[in-house]
Amino acid sequence: MERDALGEVIEASTRQFVAEVYEEAAAPDFGTWVRVEPEGAPPLFGLVSHVETGSYDSNRQAVALGLSPEERAQEMPMVDELLRTTVRTQMLACEGPNGEIRQTLPPQPPDIHDFVALCTDEQVRALGAPFDFLRTLVEHPDSDVPVDDLLVAVLRRIYAAHGGEQGGRPPLVRAGRALSRLLDDDHERLQSILRRVL
Amino acid sequence: MLDLRQLRDQLTIFEEEQSERQDRRSAQQKRARTLLRHCHEQWQAMQDAVTSAQPRRLVAKMREPPAGTRAAPERPSPVTVVATDGSQIYPDRHMEPPFFLLNVSQVAFQYGTTEEALLEATPSLHFREPLAARFDAPLDTIPTELVSALRDELELSKLLEAATTARVPERPLVALADGTLIRWMIRGMDNAILEDELIARYTECLERFRDEGLALASYVSLPASTEVVNLLRFVGGDLDVAPPSSPNEPPDAPRLDGLLDRHVLATVLGPGERSAVFGSASHIQGEYPTGTDIAFFYLKVPGPSGGELGRVEVPRWVADAPALLDRVHATVLRECRKGEGYPLALSEAHERAVVRASERDAFFRLMERRLREAGLGPTGSRKRRSKQRPRI
Repeated sequence: MERDALGEVIEASTRQFVAEVYEEAAAPDFGTWVRVEPEGAPPLFGLVSHVETGSYDSNRQAVALGLSPEERAQEMPMVDELLRTTVRTQMLACEGPNGEIRQTLPPQPPDIHDFVALCTDEQVRALGAPFDFLRTLVEHPDSDVPVDDLLVAVLRRIYAAHGGEQGGRPPLVRAGRALSRLLDDDHERLQSILRRVL
Repeated sequence: MLDLRQLRDQLTIFEEEQSERQDRRSAQQKRARTLLRHCHEQWQAMQDAVTSAQPRRLVAKMREPPAGTRAAPERPSPVTVVATDGSQIYPDRHMEPPFFLLNVSQVAFQYGTTEEALLEATPSLHFREPLAARFDAPLDTIPTELVSALRDELELSKLLEAATTARVPERPLVALADGTLIRWMIRGMDNAILEDELIARYTECLERFRDEGLALASYVSLPASTEVVNLLRFVGGDLDVAPPSSPNEPPDAPRLDGLLDRHVLATVLGPGERSAVFGSASHIQGEYPTGTDIAFFYLKVPGPSGGELGRVEVPRWVADAPALLDRVHATVLRECRKGEGYPLALSEAHERAVVRASERDAFFRLMERRLREAGLGPTGSRKRRSKQRPRI
């Protein structure tokens, strides 16, 4: 886990956690699944709902420098040191005592400094039908995140994890049906989401 | 609570006072410029006169014509710039057991390259300070001057460490310290032996910079020094000792009381230019080993609303080497340009060294918890607590 970690938890609740992304790691995309494996507790799964880059220090703000990237690197070498990327993740699933994945909030939040890694395709496939996590996403969205855009990203990830053109369509259709029920047959909204998936 | 309404009338008087002050200052600046020019033309004779008159005030020592100015050469690139700064938690009379804390940063930038920057700070907790024993007093009553002196000493030795670690063969380097290199504040602790030891330790470090061939400089923002003005006061006959008489007598009014060096040199220097280099006459300099005595120049730092005048201090071996002096001038100027009026490396060093109120509180909480867990009882007095969180 430590080896493929992209960052560490720096704020945590049972509903969501914030992770700081390591300087050398690539930040995970909006709408990707990540996992945390707290010591002595089953793994937790969350969806990246917000990616943010800013200053480490709340008293200091980044300002426009008017320099080329080379000049900036050569003459203002501290800038990169003072910036960090954080991701906010909505907690949506956890592993049960027998290794089964439960699409519900975990009993405990992760610990601060727990490692965070991207979910593998296999793990994303395991977060499958009947897609109960979609209900949590739609009915209790993070108020700062446009939920439909997050749903678009989630559906794309489901499609990709099942092989895209080679086998991605049936699970995508199943997820779309689940979503349709959740949206109370609001076809226009559903169409708007689905149009953006493929 | 501050009632702004009550301050209205007082601010009006303040405004009037400022306006008068400004008029007086313009007249003083005009006379000071004339005196500087007068001194410039016969600087060697004037320096001899100062040396033999020995005025009581600290008078800048001339090493070259004093009204000279010099534009900045191009800063070398690549160049290594290292800087340190420090902050402290002073001993608190309301805390038991007594201690103090120093937090000293180290910054090293390899400008002109994409090599990684060094930005770090090291805290040290002092509760068995050997020097304090000399005071024959408990640690909680040791003067803040001693804590500051120990912090300054640590800043300089950390600067030496950063410079020797970060230097790259064949690449020029400038080591920047914050504030003055003249330890005048050490005097006044009423403990001559301790003061001597502190000065010896500080100058030992200065000598190591020289032995390593490192260009050391310090930057004083908004300097309040008057050594150049005192020279002009001597030249103008304002001091207790008289200057040699000359055929074309300079004007003798207004007196230059209250005028600072930067007020004079701000009118002489163009943006980016530096003044002539002067030797400091500070008495404590007499105790610095030969060659480590401090010289200084003023630098006009361009910036918003006309910029400001900074004072750059260098040990004599830097002042004596034109190439090192040029390197310091060019580097400090570029640093100030990038840092919007204050050297960038020093401001980053400050950011690393500063202990914020929330961090200070967290430190006290940690310390109290550790002591409580060890069965050593509560540490903060009620007075300190009530200051931290006043109750309604």
